[in-house]
Amino acid sequence: MRIHRTLALGAVLLALVASACTPGGGSTSPSASESEAAKPAVTVGSAGFYEAALVAEIYAQALESHGYTVTRKLELGERDVTQASIESGEINLKPEYLGGMATFLGADAASDPEVTFANMQAKLAEKGLVALNYSPGTDADGFVVRQETADQFELATMSDLAAVADQLVWGLAPGCPDNPVCGPGLLSTYGIDISQLEVESLPPCSTQMAEALNNSAIDVAQVCTTQPDIARFNLVLMADDGGLQPAQNLAPVVSKTLLDAAPDDFEATLNAVSALLTTDVLTALGVQVAVNQESLPDVAAQFLADNGM
Amino acid sequence: MEFLGEVAAWFSDPASWEGRNSIPLRLWEHVSLSATALALGVLIALPIGLAIGHSGRGARAAVAITNIGRAIPSLGWLGMVLPITLVLFERGGLGFLPALIALVALAIPPIVTNTYAGLREVDRELIDAARGMGMGERRILTAVEVPIALPVILAGVRSSAVQVVATATLAAVVAGGTLGDFILQGIFVRDLPRVFGAALMVAVLALATEGLFALLQRLATSPGLRAATDVGRTS
Repeated sequence: MRIHRTLALGAVLLALVASACTPGGGSTSPSASESEAAKPAVTVGSAGFYEAALVAEIYAQALESHGYTVTRKLELGERDVTQASIESGEINLKPEYLGGMATFLGADAASDPEVTFANMQAKLAEKGLVALNYSPGTDADGFVVRQETADQFELATMSDLAAVADQLVWGLAPGCPDNPVCGPGLLSTYGIDISQLEVESLPPCSTQMAEALNNSAIDVAQVCTTQPDIARFNLVLMADDGGLQPAQNLAPVVSKTLLDAAPDDFEATLNAVSALLTTDVLTALGVQVAVNQESLPDVAAQFLADNGM
Repeated sequence: MEFLGEVAAWFSDPASWEGRNSIPLRLWEHVSLSATALALGVLIALPIGLAIGHSGRGARAAVAITNIGRAIPSLGWLGMVLPITLVLFERGGLGFLPALIALVALAIPPIVTNTYAGLREVDRELIDAARGMGMGERRILTAVEVPIALPVILAGVRSSAVQVVATATLAAVVAGGTLGDFILQGIFVRDLPRVFGAALMVAVLALATEGLFALLQRLATSPGLRAATDVGRTS
């Protein structure tokens, strides 16, 4: 956790310095006309769900404000599709999740984002791709409880939860016993034996899961850490103190060709955006898109404006 | 071929046959949920169908209202019903109950429609004759109309049963288990043989249901009618 925060702080400082040094960092970009020729065309793609699409849109608008011409190919599909697109050059920028991308490329995904990032970077290099700085926020699997349960048992971490596991009803993903980072991982890391627990089988990260928890049908729910329902129902996320879940921080993956052709403000802009994406920020943005049904471009524009970009 | 081997391996794995995620348990969840939904569907739909079929009154309204059951997709029913059952029954509001409500809604329309249609198709002269013989309305219904309309009524039940068995898989998204749970498991842990194996079982179960009701329908057709026409489904 401390590594997280230090990195995040470092990234924010770097971003501030970078944006201060960038000529025409403002939205009106007075120097755009003279540098436009030097700015390569960007085609941003994303996986087929709202969070990936939203982050892609935020990258796109941030780059546009720096004079880049950006084409959007959002919600292309699953990772096999987006990866084929960026390798073929159909797109040259996409947001990715560290653990998911690393695993997809055959690299190890660890709970430490730095390690996972390095593993992923090595594999990406073989394909002429580069990942830029990753976000402090992570969209990993997580376990949440109601505020009252957290208060009653004084729960803040997975280890706390393990101590009272058998007094609670768990909402777990179908297939949890076969998923290394679910059943087997809970047992080896926290000593939580799910075969001895009261369990309801519900899709993870689903609204049903969150509603079942909110209505006391279950006491622990397996969710995604940026799931809007966490904010909506004021649920308490248990810290993964044993480091079970692979890091799923977000990072822009770009083609090496694009990065080499682009001036310095390209990387600085994307890094500045990533630095802002904490887990809380991602959750709050998710509420705007998935719960309030606001449009992606509006949410992205508002977010960038609020952060002075 | 390799894939089918993996499907067979899932079926032959002893772990698939024991514990709280076993094939027999999921199958039982599937069959008991489907059977309960169908039984409730018949209990609700049959009286409605008989009333509107016999009297000929209120048919349009009754058919239109019950058709809401299948106009709204079952996933939609689950989405609407779950928040209510959860508030009312907490843990009891998960699983069986919301799934049952969604499936009953799906089961009702074909039975109402077919019962109504079956009764209306009965030759008016037969009913007039029965009335002339001094039969009361209730007796006309039970002794004349229902026996003649029975194959069509059962065709409606059969149609409902097959839809219910196939759709019961959805119960898995509200913690209802069933064979659908295997499908979700397979999707979440990228185990396609498990998805296929479970889907195969659902398909076989649906076909077996179809066959069972086809047989029932045949047995229920009075010999006189059987000779005249081979009655099919009208819904």
